[in-house]
Amino acid sequence: MKHFVFLLTLIISLSGQAADLGRGLRLMPVQDNGRIKPYDTFAQETLEVVYGKKKYEERAAWEVVLTWMLAPQVWGEKELFEVRNPQIQKALGLDEHRRWFKGEEVFGNERFPELMSDLRSRRETKEKLTPYFQALQRIESQFFVFREMAEGHLLRVMPSPKGDAWLSVADLESPAREAFGDVTQKFVLLLGSISTGGLAADNASLALDQSVAHFQELVHAANTSGVQISQTGLEMELFYNDFHPFRWAYIFYLIAALCGIVGWILDKKAFSYGAWAFTIIGFLTHTFGFALRVYLAGRPPVSNMYETVVWVAWGGIFFASALELIYKPRFILLAGNLAALVALVVADTAPAVLDPSLQPLEAVLRSNYWLIVHVMTITISYAAFFLAFVLGDIALIEYIKEPAKQQPAKMKAMVQAIYRCLQIGVSFLAPGIILGGIWADYSWGRFWGWDPKETWALIVLLGYLAVLHGRLTGWIRDFGLVVCAVATFSLVIMAWYGVNFVLGAGLHSYGFGAGGVEYVSAIILAHWLLLLYVVVLQKGRTSK
Amino acid sequence: MKKPWPTRILKALASIKLAVFIMVGLIILIAAGTIIESRLDAEAAKKMIYDTWWMTGLMALLATSLTAVLIDRWPWKVRHVPFICAHIGILVLMLGAVLTVKFGLDGTITIPIGEDSRYIVLPGQTDILVYASFGGNGMTKLHEEAVDFFRHPPTVENPVRINSDAGTIDLIDYRKYVLPKKQVLVTDEATAGAGVRFQIQNSRVSVVEWLVQRRPEAMATHDFGPAQIHLGVAPTLGRGKNEIWLTAIGDKIHWVVYRKDADEPFAKGVTEEGGKVQTGWMGLELRILRYLPKAREEWDFDEIDHPTPLTTSAVKVRFLGKEHWLLLDDTLRLFTQTTAYMVSYLHRRIDLGFPIALKSFEMVPYEGTSKAKEYRSHVQLPGAPEEVISMNEPAKYQGLTIYQASFQNDESGKPVASVFSVNSDPGRVWKYLGALIISVGIIWLFYSRRRPKAAATTKDV
Repeated sequence: MKHFVFLLTLIISLSGQAADLGRGLRLMPVQDNGRIKPYDTFAQETLEVVYGKKKYEERAAWEVVLTWMLAPQVWGEKELFEVRNPQIQKALGLDEHRRWFKGEEVFGNERFPELMSDLRSRRETKEKLTPYFQALQRIESQFFVFREMAEGHLLRVMPSPKGDAWLSVADLESPAREAFGDVTQKFVLLLGSISTGGLAADNASLALDQSVAHFQELVHAANTSGVQISQTGLEMELFYNDFHPFRWAYIFYLIAALCGIVGWILDKKAFSYGAWAFTIIGFLTHTFGFALRVYLAGRPPVSNMYETVVWVAWGGIFFASALELIYKPRFILLAGNLAALVALVVADTAPAVLDPSLQPLEAVLRSNYWLIVHVMTITISYAAFFLAFVLGDIALIEYIKEPAKQQPAKMKAMVQAIYRCLQIGVSFLAPGIILGGIWADYSWGRFWGWDPKETWALIVLLGYLAVLHGRLTGWIRDFGLVVCAVATFSLVIMAWYGVNFVLGAGLHSYGFGAGGVEYVSAIILAHWLLLLYVVVLQKGRTSK
Repeated sequence: MKKPWPTRILKALASIKLAVFIMVGLIILIAAGTIIESRLDAEAAKKMIYDTWWMTGLMALLATSLTAVLIDRWPWKVRHVPFICAHIGILVLMLGAVLTVKFGLDGTITIPIGEDSRYIVLPGQTDILVYASFGGNGMTKLHEEAVDFFRHPPTVENPVRINSDAGTIDLIDYRKYVLPKKQVLVTDEATAGAGVRFQIQNSRVSVVEWLVQRRPEAMATHDFGPAQIHLGVAPTLGRGKNEIWLTAIGDKIHWVVYRKDADEPFAKGVTEEGGKVQTGWMGLELRILRYLPKAREEWDFDEIDHPTPLTTSAVKVRFLGKEHWLLLDDTLRLFTQTTAYMVSYLHRRIDLGFPIALKSFEMVPYEGTSKAKEYRSHVQLPGAPEEVISMNEPAKYQGLTIYQASFQNDESGKPVASVFSVNSDPGRVWKYLGALIISVGIIWLFYSRRRPKAAATTKDV
């Protein structure tokens, strides 16, 4: 634990070099999307909407977003607006090889009003929005967000005596208006000195901090409605933004996996210690990040795809470690590391699909014990199936290698581990589905309603039960189980991802988003081709 | 040596191969159900997959197979307990499901704020109702029939036929998904009222609408928030509202404007088709775009191949050689010289036997947004103290459970009605019991089999 704390401090001091500049501003409470968040989070989320990234050309979001308000005309000249949908690029006559465009190229385009009216009439039909219209919708919100930010309406910085909606910068009255004006001036001074760095930047940052502090005094004085602004919460969130716990976790898992792979190839036990050490460090960081998110959201974070992916990665490591300790073949831990690595990398790199921002929950999902229990139980079963899938992949590679090099004992152990994973998965999934029924009964008075999400969870259960039963009849032997572990995971992908992103229908629609379908399908297809190849290979060998 | 045939049948039913076949069959069937739901809607998936004899048959086979496997293990030994739990639990759960389907009730009720209601609507079940009125005030029910046009649509060759004194009323066609739009036609029926297509506009608003009277003396109204516009017989004094009255007399339209603060007309006059009237009030200009002294409203629609929140279904009615379209949850009026017939195509409604009154409704949004954080209904049930129903906090009354399902709001986002689901579920206990037994069974089963048996060594299967 001591080492862990030391390591954490080291990481933070490494990653937080320039982080202290503008700290006061970044911590400033802002009301946005139904909660109070630090300006830093607001800026990242806003930049993400418009630009598709959390940084603009190496400049942090907090440096960029406020300048939209101060110098909108300058930003009109920059390639700030991300347009990726080829259909829209074509419709607007944009260069298909570029990803970012000037505001004028997009919103000043003569066809832009036409596209917006297409979108409106599509909305009036209440039809589901196709990816094209979803992309149009994004452009609409890019336009809206940038304009509102530039005009000072988006940034809500001060509690209002009139209601629970805070006052935006544009609505501020004296003396708050002057105080905020001073903040922006000091902010501009800091921006000027950041590039040179050194003492000038430190002093400018200090001046900005003081100016923000002065403004915050006015905010606290105005905060008569009793809204709690938790300073600790803001600081924790800023820390969470800077620290990237899940990124560190996957880096450690990557190192652990590399140790595992080298150990596997060289067949040396010594590497397993390294793998264990990094797995443990990664797991602690992972758990810490998870706990931090629970604290910030005020609820267990299993309410959208991003959060379940992080949770499944956690479960993968947990089950892998437990099984490795019980059975001691080294590749289970390796499989766990690879599973968690893949899941966390995907979560970190696909923010448009897996939205990492903390969103307010739908009313039906709030403060509900059964909800949390059923989602966590079902998704943790996916972790076990994921582990079986990765183990299956490793076993397939073993099968591809020359049969002479195959070690029957090792294969037996691997097959046994896969079998165990499937059992663990089923024994979480079945109660999880039932708990979901109990939740539905409790919330809606209906135990089962053939909702696509619950139906697909049942399909997964039936699929794995069929495999387990097939094993009992002797239809599925060792090689068959490996194949099934990989093949049946397609059902999990469908239940977990496909229902939301491909089917996009049903009561569980609060988790819905779009995108990434082509990548996911390609991965599934690649696995099926791999399976086909190995099956044919194996058939050829046995017939000889 | 061959075993006797009952044993062989039992063995066949208890075989794992059959179990795997059933599981794979279920997977294919319900996966298709989810795809249909995503293409169409939940009701289509229900009628095409989940409520079919395919599904029922497979479920019955599953129950038979489970029963067979349990009999096959007889006499049960202690080591069989987890196995028996995992399998018997499914049977108990299925028993609960059967009880729910047979004896349960599951409907929704929408109550506007400040009002009450005693009828719940059952989704997916529809009725055709025909009433006749022979001149007087009385209405006679001629016909009531449960129909499932989704599965069994009427056709010209095979119509749904309802006998009346004036001839048969035939339902001859059905469309699943239509986008309705009203159409106003000229008619020569003596009983028809007038129709006016008007435009009212000032610098901020512009509204174009039809007003059609059902009978010559009836009133037709378009409400646009702070003011209403009526077609009918104008009162001589204001009613304390901002109102514009149009009265059709011959080929002229008499108009009068009342304001809510005065009894006397604010302005009045006479106009005709194509006429333009300055009401002198809020700069509103009224134009009569079309005027039909005898008009009839008729549904017209565009048919599409999938449902949206705006689609409904329609059935074609033929009466005395004329054809009319009737939309779901609407009533068609058919006239002869002596009789008026009312043909309704409605979702099934059930009288609860008591009213539910919605006293008030609160919606708490997330701070600074209009997104609902929580909402609750203050409800009055007969002989019970006022109760609060909110998400996950249902009320129980006379064996029914009343859940907060959702709410409806007007265009400004203000809630106007609360939606509840009302149900009774006699299978609940069995489902919970079955669920518990399954869960215990599965976990115990896997825990007790530390070593998975190799395929070849399993003898007692």
